[in-house]
Amino acid sequence: MMGHWLRQIRAVIRLEMKKTFFSKRGLWVYLVALAPVLLFAGHSFDEMRSRNFKKEVAAERAVSTATLEKIEPGMSPRQVEEIAGEPYSRMSFANRRHERTVYRYTDGETDYNLIFMDDELQTIGRHSRPSINEESLIFATVFQFFFLRLAIFFGCVGIFMNLFRGELIDKSLHYYLLAPIRREVLLIGKYLAGLTATVVIFTASAGLQLWAASMYMDPRATSEFLHGGSYVWSYMGVTALACVGYGSVFLAAGLMFRNPLIPAGAVLIWESANIFLPAALKKISVIFYLQSLCPVVASPGGDVSGIWALLVSSAEPTPAVLAITGLLAVTLLILAAASVRARKLEINYGTD
Amino acid sequence: MTPPPIEESLILFENVSRFYGEVLGVNRVTLSIPPGITSLVGPNGSGKTTLMNLMTGLVRPTRGSIRILGITPQEPEKLFRLLGYSTQFDSFPKGLTGYQFVYSFLRLFGWDNAHCEKLAWKSIERVNLVEAANRKVAGYSKGMRQRIKLAQSIAHDPRVLVLDEPLNGLDPLVRAETITLFRELAAEGRHVIVSSHILHEVDRISDQVILLSNGYVVAEGKIQGVRSEIREHPMQVLIRCNRPGALASKVFEQDSVVEARVHADGGGLLVKTRDADRFYRLLNHIALDGIEIESVAPADDNVNSVYEYLIGGEESTK
Repeated sequence: MMGHWLRQIRAVIRLEMKKTFFSKRGLWVYLVALAPVLLFAGHSFDEMRSRNFKKEVAAERAVSTATLEKIEPGMSPRQVEEIAGEPYSRMSFANRRHERTVYRYTDGETDYNLIFMDDELQTIGRHSRPSINEESLIFATVFQFFFLRLAIFFGCVGIFMNLFRGELIDKSLHYYLLAPIRREVLLIGKYLAGLTATVVIFTASAGLQLWAASMYMDPRATSEFLHGGSYVWSYMGVTALACVGYGSVFLAAGLMFRNPLIPAGAVLIWESANIFLPAALKKISVIFYLQSLCPVVASPGGDVSGIWALLVSSAEPTPAVLAITGLLAVTLLILAAASVRARKLEINYGTD
Repeated sequence: MTPPPIEESLILFENVSRFYGEVLGVNRVTLSIPPGITSLVGPNGSGKTTLMNLMTGLVRPTRGSIRILGITPQEPEKLFRLLGYSTQFDSFPKGLTGYQFVYSFLRLFGWDNAHCEKLAWKSIERVNLVEAANRKVAGYSKGMRQRIKLAQSIAHDPRVLVLDEPLNGLDPLVRAETITLFRELAAEGRHVIVSSHILHEVDRISDQVILLSNGYVVAEGKIQGVRSEIREHPMQVLIRCNRPGALASKVFEQDSVVEARVHADGGGLLVKTRDADRFYRLLNHIALDGIEIESVAPADDNVNSVYEYLIGGEESTK
């Protein structure tokens, strides 16, 4: 019997695959998945460009760090030039009352921006390249608070909700219901089809994001950034688990609700409010388990404030085995509830 | 070998009702449908499609029970191995060719590729759509879409075929071919349940009819049998003979004859009688009196007349 069900599941996946991967309706899912890749690629290109520029400037007007550290607030432009020589860039801005001048020096690694107000040094800004730890933290923040909570979340809304709801709208679901296939088997087939599509799209995106983020790094820094390659598997694994969890939620929602925006909004609020919930309720959410599994905690403590502090509060750490088991248990529970609904599903396109 | 129980060769509805909220779909339907072509006839909203959807589990009864050859519609894995349903929905999964449409849904049976390919081509051939099979269904005409749906519903060689308005959109030639196909399928001992609003076609193809009105079954059975049950409307008999006037004077001697009218072409007499059996016996005597009777045929035991008598002229079929 199991072999027969597996053949039926394969047949459902084959039928669904074209729809989930290539439907015009789902094009935006690719764009959402591609957005963070473009973000990190842009960051890397900017870093490469700025590094090359600094190298050129340093070759022509090398100023040592020790020399630059001698410059103090209150100095005049002339005094600064006596210590460090000509800046590689000089800009002046004036209004009716004040004149502001900016001198820029570099030691090849760090940019020094000296801001003069009416020929008196007011501020010394140091802009150095982000460290690998900072890069890791930036990646983790984007991954958890854009990719997991928004990109994968809405990608799963788009793909999984359409598995049943889309076919009800297209009036073609009855072909499945008129086949000799148990509704539970049909549900699993559709779920696996959606899962295949989302896992392929979003894990590819996660891998590309890591590649794009480390494009400008040298091999040693890349290895440090990727933690010897283990972060690649961790991030891709968390991505796949996010698809498993959110997929089940939105497959069930597509079966139970006519308007997908209502359950999607409710789940988004529930997932966002997760940090305020008591421990028992926290566990009935997908993000709780996913955050526990992320290799870098995107909660840099006092460095974040305001609304970000709200967002980046991490879940209480849960051991990986428990987090994976918990997520799979939540998924199975949701799929079981969806199966009950699928068994009672009626075709009444007029009112759907 | 012991023959299967009788209920395993019948489609049975037992006191089935279905309500859509406050709206009645069908009410207290009790039916026993034997093999052969059975037509469901009724105006829009009379419950034809609801009855078909109940039969196939697409909707569930609010009360009552249904068994299709001994299987309930809540067992799709068993039911759809022996039942095919061509619905009225003119919609298809996107992006598929006619062949892919038939083939892909055959794969849901769990059969291997070669077997599904064979069955798909066989059914496509049966509906004469081989040449268009590799074109996208989206580009098909209405008639072609009807035929590919029919091919999909018969591809697995079902014992019960349920067809909702299957002749809609077909040109006369294809319509005739399709009716022949229904007859062939019925002759093989299958149940062919058809809904149609073209009454003269229903007359031509049906072994039995189920007349529906406002969610109720108003009559069922062989059309002649149904007609003879309608006592309040006298039977009409057309007698083709050489002396219709003389025949008229003879038949008026019978109490049961309520009306006799010479046919418009002057070559026959249209008689309305309350007792058809007695009238036929009388005709045997009349024939001996020198009136040459060419033919005697009931004039109103067709679906159209029966439908009008039972449901009334104010309601037109779909």
